Amino acid sequence: MAFFFNRGRSRQPAEVVRSTKELLLRVQEAPNTPKADEELAKQLGQMKVIVQGTQEISTSPDQVHALIQATLQEDLLYDLSRSIHLLPFEARKDTQTIFSHILRFRPTSYAPDKDPPVISYIVHHRPEILIELCRGYTHGQSAMPCGVILREALKFDVVTAVVLYDQSQEGEAAVRLSELKPNAPQNGDGVFWNFFEWIDKGNFEVSADAFTTFREILTRHKSLVTAYLASNFELFFGRFNTVLVQSDSYVTKRQSIKLLGEILLDRANYNVMMAYVESGENLKLCMKLLRDDRKMVQYEGFHVFKVFVANPNKSVAVQRILINNRDRLLRFLPKFLEDRTDDDQFTDEKSFLVRQIEVLPKEPVDRSRPSREAQSGVNTAAVV
Amino acid sequence: MADDMASRYQMMEELGSGSFGVVYKAIDKANGEIVAIKHIDLESSEDDIAEIQQEISVLATCASAFVTQYKASFLKGHKLWIVMEYLGGGSCLDLLKPGVFNEAHVSIVCQQLLQGLDYLHTEGKIHRDVKAANVLLSNTGKVKLADFGVAAQLVNIKSQRNTFVGTPFWMAPEVIQQAGYDFKADIWSLGITAIEMINGEPPHASTHPMKVLFLIPKNPAPRLEGPEYSSTFKDFIAQCLTKDPERRPSAKELLKHKFIRNAGKTEALQELIQRKQEWDGGRGLTKDVKYYAETLTTLNRGAIEDEDDWVFDTVKAPTMRTPSKNPSMWVPAGTDWTTLDEEESDPDPAQLMEDMHISPSPQPPQPPKHQANSTVRRTPGYERSPSIRRANTKRRSSGVKQPLGLDLSFGNSPSTVRHFRRVSDRVSSTEVPPQKGSSVFDENTSPKVVSGDSPSKEAQLGRRAYAKAIGHSCQEVLSTTGDGEKRDAISRLAEAWSDLEMVDPEGLYHIVRIMNEKFSADHRLSNLVPSSPQPDSPGRPRLVLAQNNPHLKSHRRRQSTTEPPPQSPLSNLPGQQVPGMEHTKQLSDVLYQRWADGLRNRWGF
Repeated sequence: MAFFFNRGRSRQPAEVVRSTKELLLRVQEAPNTPKADEELAKQLGQMKVIVQGTQEISTSPDQVHALIQATLQEDLLYDLSRSIHLLPFEARKDTQTIFSHILRFRPTSYAPDKDPPVISYIVHHRPEILIELCRGYTHGQSAMPCGVILREALKFDVVTAVVLYDQSQEGEAAVRLSELKPNAPQNGDGVFWNFFEWIDKGNFEVSADAFTTFREILTRHKSLVTAYLASNFELFFGRFNTVLVQSDSYVTKRQSIKLLGEILLDRANYNVMMAYVESGENLKLCMKLLRDDRKMVQYEGFHVFKVFVANPNKSVAVQRILINNRDRLLRFLPKFLEDRTDDDQFTDEKSFLVRQIEVLPKEPVDRSRPSREAQSGVNTAAVV
Repeated sequence: MADDMASRYQMMEELGSGSFGVVYKAIDKANGEIVAIKHIDLESSEDDIAEIQQEISVLATCASAFVTQYKASFLKGHKLWIVMEYLGGGSCLDLLKPGVFNEAHVSIVCQQLLQGLDYLHTEGKIHRDVKAANVLLSNTGKVKLADFGVAAQLVNIKSQRNTFVGTPFWMAPEVIQQAGYDFKADIWSLGITAIEMINGEPPHASTHPMKVLFLIPKNPAPRLEGPEYSSTFKDFIAQCLTKDPERRPSAKELLKHKFIRNAGKTEALQELIQRKQEWDGGRGLTKDVKYYAETLTTLNRGAIEDEDDWVFDTVKAPTMRTPSKNPSMWVPAGTDWTTLDEEESDPDPAQLMEDMHISPSPQPPQPPKHQANSTVRRTPGYERSPSIRRANTKRRSSGVKQPLGLDLSFGNSPSTVRHFRRVSDRVSSTEVPPQKGSSVFDENTSPKVVSGDSPSKEAQLGRRAYAKAIGHSCQEVLSTTGDGEKRDAISRLAEAWSDLEMVDPEGLYHIVRIMNEKFSADHRLSNLVPSSPQPDSPGRPRLVLAQNNPHLKSHRRRQSTTEPPPQSPLSNLPGQQVPGMEHTKQLSDVLYQRWADGLRNRWGF
């Protein structure tokens, strides 16, 4: 054992990469071969030590550099990204570590404001790696390691752009960064749209991790996401409302209402918010959340509901629903989550909403200003 | 899907409360394995759920003999269930109750813990809450680190954390000072834990936790003093409690320390487990065991009809209600809850059971009122019935082992209810397996019309008999039966009973009644009858575990040991935000701003 280990330590990174690649291809062809699995796990363990070091041994930048070069040459990241679910337990974790380190790696001479070299390489030449990592959510075993790697990569807006805009199907080439068409509407089949299904259908572990990544995509790079939401408003919120906000899973439901609030109240998404709170259907959905039998769902729902009420330019549809329910709301709100006595902000907001509802006119008043809708280019259907 | 997962487990008694929820013992019905299941009520937690997912992801990526093994996690309603390996020996804190450990024991525990910490640290994980309460022992004395409620995963193995977590007495100075810390923080806590094991409590235990936060960084590091301790032990503690984390040794280095190298085998720790058992025995098992009971509120979803419900367009309010997600939990409007109330307030169910067989009612049975009603009615968490408790005390005083899970209340197995119910949904009218007394069945051929009448007394008793006795009996026997074919037969019988209860509780009542009569008539069977309870009834031998059954031992031991209430010593410290709620502040700022802007626009300023 010691003999093997010592030999491994002194081996060139390129050699480790080559044998990893070889074994990986063998495992892909014939999964569950214990001997190949074990060998592969050993190689990945060595790669991990090269990129990460141990508590006692620190890494050598030259070795890391050599390893990364060999990895790109052999296209190893692609093969790894699509076979994480085939790897044994420890090897999956090692792969996650290797990936994260390689994605982050910057040579010492590198300008700190530039994307790390491997990130640039991937978005320009091998975006399939990112797509395969996302597809890791189709397997319970790979969901968590792929999620960790993805979130590491999604720190860079170029990666988020590829994940948002790619529409390749399995076996097809993924979209290169240079080919992105930021304003073209999506068909709803791209890899980003699969997240709805992974969150909704996956078991708890998969679903929760997929949601974390989904949230990361939607909240990290604001200008990118704002443009995306504007050009895909109906598609996005249609799915968000039906699949996530009305999910059977308590966690998915609660988390997505909260995320909805975050998206709408982000200053960058002002136009998206205005379009969202114009829709009577969205308001209905929200008012039902207030009557959910789970308090935290009610609470998160409240933080979306208040946007509708606080909006000074309510659409006629929204006004009509609020006016029709004025008495009910005025009875309901004072008692709503009464036990949150130490939450001053909540209490203030509640009384603010009560005042707003009290001063609603008897009949809806149309004060929509067409200029805004034209400018945001999004949903106007709700304005009757 | 989640409910299917939950129905895999037969819930048993409460083991204790951890940092994030209540832990129960349970049996995995698939393989009979005993597991510990942590229930986290997500409704009562305002924390970002992501924090809890963090705990799971740290757990799920651990596989070491020195760390409690994670098995699965899933949602059941708004509760998150985390299934873990069950460790029957209790925590080191439990084992300290009869008295302090000796040096030999401490060295074994520390040696095992260091291996666990070495594993975690190599994996890039920090435990952050090492203390006796979080060290669990198996029945054989194996030592495992538990409770990752605050564990952190470092993305980069060399990076440091700045978060302020842990329990004050065990906290390393650098953690308190928030100067950034790494793995070495766990080593400090290990040193404090070693003192805790040899002294019974950590240093400064009598000081207020808040004050300790100032003492630990300010004072010199605690030392073990006195001639009764060996110099290697004193040195080990001194090494762990090095204030400068740079100079504090790593887990790997400490594994080479003489105190650790000379440690004995883990089997020696069985003495501690034994001692605790005897201690418990001496005190008598007076403490009430808490059982898993699904709360009424959990199941009550959608039950409250509110005439104030929103009006959307022309659609009438009731139909606009959010459709209930789980049909078995849904109660139709106008459901008769008085039945439930009556039953809940009933002082002595045992009396009812007795009535049941001494006062046979000649009335023709009436059909049940609402079928859905019956499911809901029996799902709320019943308390353990007094009659059962009585049986227990008898058993104890006579020195006879009690059967495993005898006093499971029906609320303990809600998942089973659903399991049975699913079957009965499919089979609307089922045949009852041939039983003694099935002649009663003639009476039950009355048409099953849903009428407005309230359920007959027989029906109530029948349901009660099912809820309180028959369902449990089937479950108990099932959980103590290993053979697949036998299990299959038992579960078929259980399903048949469940179906009968759904369709015709009166019939069920009469079967039981006549069975009891026939039992009483036969002199050999007569002692099976509930009116003369025989705690050690030979008629139910399979319910009694063998004296040497390890499950029974741990069961008994655990009954008297519940962990201390969850500590949240930091919750009242300044600077503690409520995580997950940050967006609300920002949100309201934006809102008021927008509102003001809107007014300005409208008024043409």
